[in-house]
Amino acid sequence: MLNLFEKNLRRFFEKNSIHFTEGGRFYKLRPLFEALETICFTPAIPARRPPFVRDGIDLKRFMSIVLLALMPPLFWGIYNTGYQSLAASGKDLIFPNIIISGLLTVMPLIIVSYAAGFFWEILFAVIRKHPISEGFLVTGLLFPMTLPPSVPLWQVAVGISFGVVIGKEVFGGTGRNIFNPALTARAFLFFAYPARMSGDRVWVAVSDTASSAISAVSGATPLSMSTLAPPFNTIESMLQSAGFTLSTLFVGNYPGSVGGTSALCCLIGALILIITGVASYRIIIGGVAGLLISSFLFNIVSTVPLNAWTDINPLYHLAAGGFAFGIVYMATDPVSAPGTQTSKWVYGFFIGMLTVLIRIFNPAYPEGVMMAILFMNLFAPLFDFIEIRMHVSKRIPNV
Amino acid sequence: MPGVFMKTVKIKKGWQFKIAGKPSQRIKNSPAVSHVASVPDKLPFIRPRLLVQKGDHVLIGSVLFEDKKHPDLKFLSPGCGTISNITYGPRRVLHEIVIELDSNEIFETFEMITDSALDLIERKPLIARLMAGGMWPFVRQLPFRQIANPDFRPNAVWVSLGSADPFQPSSHIYLKDQVGFFEFGIKALSRLTDTVNICRYDNEKSGKNDFDANIVTHRIIGKYPASDPGVVLYHTKKSAAENHDWYIDGQDVIHLGKFLKTGAYPIDRIVSFSDASSDNSCHLKTRMGIRLKGLAPSAINDHSKRWVVGGVLSGYTSAGDEFLDPHQTSVMIMEETNQSELFGFVRPGFKKLSNSRTFLSVISSAPLTINSDMHGEERPCINCGYCASICPVDIMPQFTYRSIYADEIEEALACGLLDCVECGLCSFVCPSKIELSDFLIEAKHRYHKELSQVA
Repeated sequence: MLNLFEKNLRRFFEKNSIHFTEGGRFYKLRPLFEALETICFTPAIPARRPPFVRDGIDLKRFMSIVLLALMPPLFWGIYNTGYQSLAASGKDLIFPNIIISGLLTVMPLIIVSYAAGFFWEILFAVIRKHPISEGFLVTGLLFPMTLPPSVPLWQVAVGISFGVVIGKEVFGGTGRNIFNPALTARAFLFFAYPARMSGDRVWVAVSDTASSAISAVSGATPLSMSTLAPPFNTIESMLQSAGFTLSTLFVGNYPGSVGGTSALCCLIGALILIITGVASYRIIIGGVAGLLISSFLFNIVSTVPLNAWTDINPLYHLAAGGFAFGIVYMATDPVSAPGTQTSKWVYGFFIGMLTVLIRIFNPAYPEGVMMAILFMNLFAPLFDFIEIRMHVSKRIPNV
Repeated sequence: MPGVFMKTVKIKKGWQFKIAGKPSQRIKNSPAVSHVASVPDKLPFIRPRLLVQKGDHVLIGSVLFEDKKHPDLKFLSPGCGTISNITYGPRRVLHEIVIELDSNEIFETFEMITDSALDLIERKPLIARLMAGGMWPFVRQLPFRQIANPDFRPNAVWVSLGSADPFQPSSHIYLKDQVGFFEFGIKALSRLTDTVNICRYDNEKSGKNDFDANIVTHRIIGKYPASDPGVVLYHTKKSAAENHDWYIDGQDVIHLGKFLKTGAYPIDRIVSFSDASSDNSCHLKTRMGIRLKGLAPSAINDHSKRWVVGGVLSGYTSAGDEFLDPHQTSVMIMEETNQSELFGFVRPGFKKLSNSRTFLSVISSAPLTINSDMHGEERPCINCGYCASICPVDIMPQFTYRSIYADEIEEALACGLLDCVECGLCSFVCPSKIELSDFLIEAKHRYHKELSQVA
């Protein structure tokens, strides 16, 4: 069965490759053909220069591991989106309905993101005559997972277009971008269309008529509760009364962005990435340490609370919002992160620290991790530069 | 040198070989051959001036060619007979000098040297004798790995016994019954420099010393390429003056000793031979410069197989009909890549060789059969850092590569370009399939050319 399939597939590519060679009808679309062919068949290319044996890993494998690690938050995201949507509309919470509702909300986001993004990828590959890079497989999935489920599809398309073109291709494509393209796309939407990206209304996918009818249901996210309401003494008690206990936040059963609510699923993903060695554990652990240490220091230092979040238990910072998702999947993007080992610790630590700072001092941006990562992306080359200088000064010169 | 203090050098980075077809400890005699050859184009940085022509009769140890830059540097014939063919490669590079062997081979005679005379001989005449006797090409110089410059006095000469690459000849085999010659060779080397460092590579299994341990100065522990003299030097050097140290392989020290003691050009060689598709992998007792397929007449010699000389990670591709460079001691036959693989990147990969942990082959340490496939297409560098985490001399290949790419040779040198030991691991692990080590080696060679033009 599989052999027959393989044989026919092989024949299909052999037969059609003529149209994509020089002089063929679709020569211009060669990168697309090559991308499809190499997804189906890892090409047999002999090593011409030593070493004559090469590692089995390639970028396709590398990126597929990231996709694999994204599966737990994606599945949870589908479930949670459906759950919140049904709960807000007051419908029956039956498992198949939840999944169907979740799929109906989430899949269009993903499909539009991939379609619009691949359009630009193919366009650039065709014009610049280079193969289509695998990096977009990850970007195209990461981006919709950071969005509120209620975001209009045209905004998804606009956002990913910005992320791919301005975030990546203008710098020369994969491997040469300064910022993480998925986060660039999200930041663009965040500032260009704030009404659909923040506030209390966007985090649950319900139709407009339904949402006005059920205004009693608050879609507030835990991070947007920035001021203490009178009956509560601490932010923890206020969060708990709103249903945001630490365990809820950890598991992720609350309204939020599609993939970012569950710290537990991100933890599973982080384990996959660390065990396979695809993402740097230094960045992840450094980030968690930065977040916990700086929020703990705020606990100690602040006598007069500047903000309700200064006094919160550091674990809330860790579990709430998109920090876990950001530090595991966004900060570890090797292209926009530093490449040297000690720098990775520092980079992660600063991301954690900046996240806390932004959450505390700037309630207008309740989700600090996006800004923190983008800001540290900017510093990654500097970290690398400093570490290479230090490394070089330790070497015994050989010229 | 009795009672030398032995130093243990532990090298952390590197790669543990997981390749099937490791040569066994069995020694076989390779069958007699009719032709041998000298292979000048495999010698680094040499411009040969041919001193013989087709039809000439030569003895074992007759001069075949010399270096145009250093006419004292002679290269001798590995056989006695008639020169049957001289072939040239692209751009008229002297490729092979093929000798059809006589049935009774005669050795050219050189002056012998006794144990006591070796104690008294000066450095200069000893070097002259080694150069005239064709022994000098065995002594190499770091960091460019060229044939040692006889006018330079290095800080030390490094002798390596055994290799972290299990496909290279085992020192236990070539040292057997040859320890006398080895010690004589070491004594000769100690006339050339103040320090002779003898590094024995130990893997965990061969803990005991079957060879006179008090002569060994460094015990090397680690993964490939820990046994490389460049790696050992990088991890032990204290000043920049040591960068240009000399090195020589253990088997070549035996040759050197044998040449001085017997006065004849030694042509016997232990070659490790590996062919994963058969169980012929073993050590072969053979002679210098034989045709590769002469090592294994039964091996398949067609396009489905690739013959690799000098190690699969840092050697060169050859073919069964080519001759073995007299300086090389390892030959491997591996599968040529044949067919594209359906959905290669999503397979669990129980049989995929990888240094990363992204395939399930990671759970087992069983050796795997390899082929010459790239296992992917070339892509831009994504700064994953795999190369930097495996580089045994910490040169951060991805950044050094970028500085060379930007033509910032000073920056590349500062990053340690010349410390590169040409082990090939950075290219091996790269998921973007960038020819990192090739690029670094090219840059080194360009720099060497520039330096020699200045001088």
